[in-house]
Amino acid sequence: MLTTRPHLTALRPSPTTVSYTVSTASRRETLPSQLLHHFLHSLRIVLGLATLAAVLAKFFDYLTYLPLSWSDYIDKAPWSRVGPLAFASFVLVFRRFHTEESLLILRSLGIQTSTLSPSYLLPSNTRFIPTSQIRDIFIHEAFKGFEVRYYLAVVVEGEGEVVVVFPNLLPGRAIVEEVWRGARECLYEPKA
Amino acid sequence: MPYNIAMVSDFFFPQPGGVESHIYQLSTKLIDRGHKVIIITHAYEGRTGVRYLTNGLKVYHVPFLVIYRESTMPTVFSFFPIFRNIIIREEIEIVHGHASLSSLCHEAILHARTMGLRTVFTDHSLFGFADAASILTNKLLKFTLSDVDHCIGVSHTCKENTVLRASLDPLMVSVIPNAVVAENFQPLALHKNSNSYPFAARPAPLPPQHLGPHDTITIVVISRLFYNKGTDLLIAALPRILAADPHVRFIIAGSGPKAIDLEQMLESRVLQDRVELLGPVRHEEVRDVMVRGHIYLHPSLTEAFGTVIVEAASCGLYVVCTRVGGIPEVLPPHMTTFAKPEEDDLVAATQKAIAALRANRIRTEGFHEQVKKMYSWTDVAERTERVYDGITGAISEEEFYGDVSGGGWSATRGRAGVQSFALIDRLKRYYGCGIWAGKLFCLCVIIDYLLFQLLEMLAPRANIDICRNWPKKAGKGERIDEEGDEATPLRMARSRASSRRKGRLR
Repeated sequence: MLTTRPHLTALRPSPTTVSYTVSTASRRETLPSQLLHHFLHSLRIVLGLATLAAVLAKFFDYLTYLPLSWSDYIDKAPWSRVGPLAFASFVLVFRRFHTEESLLILRSLGIQTSTLSPSYLLPSNTRFIPTSQIRDIFIHEAFKGFEVRYYLAVVVEGEGEVVVVFPNLLPGRAIVEEVWRGARECLYEPKA
Repeated sequence: MPYNIAMVSDFFFPQPGGVESHIYQLSTKLIDRGHKVIIITHAYEGRTGVRYLTNGLKVYHVPFLVIYRESTMPTVFSFFPIFRNIIIREEIEIVHGHASLSSLCHEAILHARTMGLRTVFTDHSLFGFADAASILTNKLLKFTLSDVDHCIGVSHTCKENTVLRASLDPLMVSVIPNAVVAENFQPLALHKNSNSYPFAARPAPLPPQHLGPHDTITIVVISRLFYNKGTDLLIAALPRILAADPHVRFIIAGSGPKAIDLEQMLESRVLQDRVELLGPVRHEEVRDVMVRGHIYLHPSLTEAFGTVIVEAASCGLYVVCTRVGGIPEVLPPHMTTFAKPEEDDLVAATQKAIAALRANRIRTEGFHEQVKKMYSWTDVAERTERVYDGITGAISEEEFYGDVSGGGWSATRGRAGVQSFALIDRLKRYYGCGIWAGKLFCLCVIIDYLLFQLLEMLAPRANIDICRNWPKKAGKGERIDEEGDEATPLRMARSRASSRRKGRLR
């Protein structure tokens, strides 16, 4: 409902730059899915504000003035119980339900891989590899859990292990091949 | 009709051995004939994951726990998810298991039948019936072979053994021998010739070798020094052979637990100057050791086929061997002297062979060409392909099994001698395995079936990527001719498109 199978979006702002993003976020093509999306977002905002209000009110002892039915409960409950509850609520509010990983390729500069963190508050995990250090980009297969998956990997000079692109999503062969072709075309100038 | 075949065995390279090279050679030749072959084996140290060998032979080294002598833990069901994944992504139609000691192979055959695939099993070894270990192995073999489509034995003795052990219908066991790569086992003079004149159309026929009564005759023994390879027999016979003729030398290569006994005997009899111990030799060095001798002595106590004696004959050696297992089927009588597997007879046979060589009654120079004609992997691949044709129903039952009145022997056999996949038919076949074992096996099969249905729900087929095939070689082999035929424009277009795509991939 909230996530889909990994799908690819390619951005080509210039002939020497290309960005591939693989995401599990719902594409929201239909009206119900759009409505659901907006509804969930408003729910997040309401929950976030409510939690904030409750915590602030308890901190400044305003709870008795709030005309809410559960204000009494929060007032009486010790911080040791309210604290974790509020924390859990915030985690839920800022939680990102989809995963998104991307590969940015800049000719003559290098490539950057990034993985969005599972929370809206934390920064995304990125890594830049300059062109001079890239030995090769290849597709291979490996065992992962109970299945064999395709993966796209970059061989970095001076490193014992390859850098796997899209390490968490491990998209299927069709996506991996498209990215591989695009990356090769963009990274190395086409032959005359 | 090209098939997609998966060879499954615990034993594969980098481990050296006969089964390993059999699988490799057979796969390579099948690929040359236009089939697609993959190999599934367990992970060896430093070798996990997916690898490609020459000619696009793809090897899956599945990470598994190894318990004893490179055999995996028999965990019946844990292999199924990953096996199913590989089978689906490679679009496999036939699963071909090798070696009866490999639990991976047995499991694969069971799962493949559950998934509705054709299965073939090749037995490479002989087993007894008496001791506890054999009884257990035989029961396990009976379990898997109850529902296999066809079996292959490497010799008629091996076939007989398999039929008895697994209570099979003898009709569903074929005999396809091993082979040797004759080019790797050339006699000394021929080898020299082909090196110095690489473009010579045909090497000149060898001059016959003449051995005088006082020329030294060298006897070669290459075997792993185990009890079943007859090392004890060798230890007993060797001093008597040496004592009878002062112009005889021995070269012994190989290692194993009996090496100590052999060395002790040599030291106590002070024979070190007449017996050369080489220790373990690599397979590619075997030829260089063999050509140093005149006679190859093979004292084995049990042997399903004995590839090594074919290699020895190919190198132009006269073979003295014990009459056990499948050995008598392997070579024509003019290349061998047989002995009973006992000390006196082995000594007598060896002396007979030495005398015959000295009298120039044996012409070993023709052996290489003869062996080359008898044994080739291409021939093995052709015959194996015929088995595949038979089990998939590509050739009719009469053609495959011969004209057998009364049709199928087993009641559960379906159309054209092909085993039915229906669960109830499969259960009937397993139920006959024994009072307790039959019920246990049925239980296993039912669990396997339920597991399969569960996997179909948890990991649907639609989510599994289909593999890209290795591009077919163009301009060589009969498949290309077939594709040039106007009857198959679709396949031609497809293969051209795939080769173009692959061209970009490379």
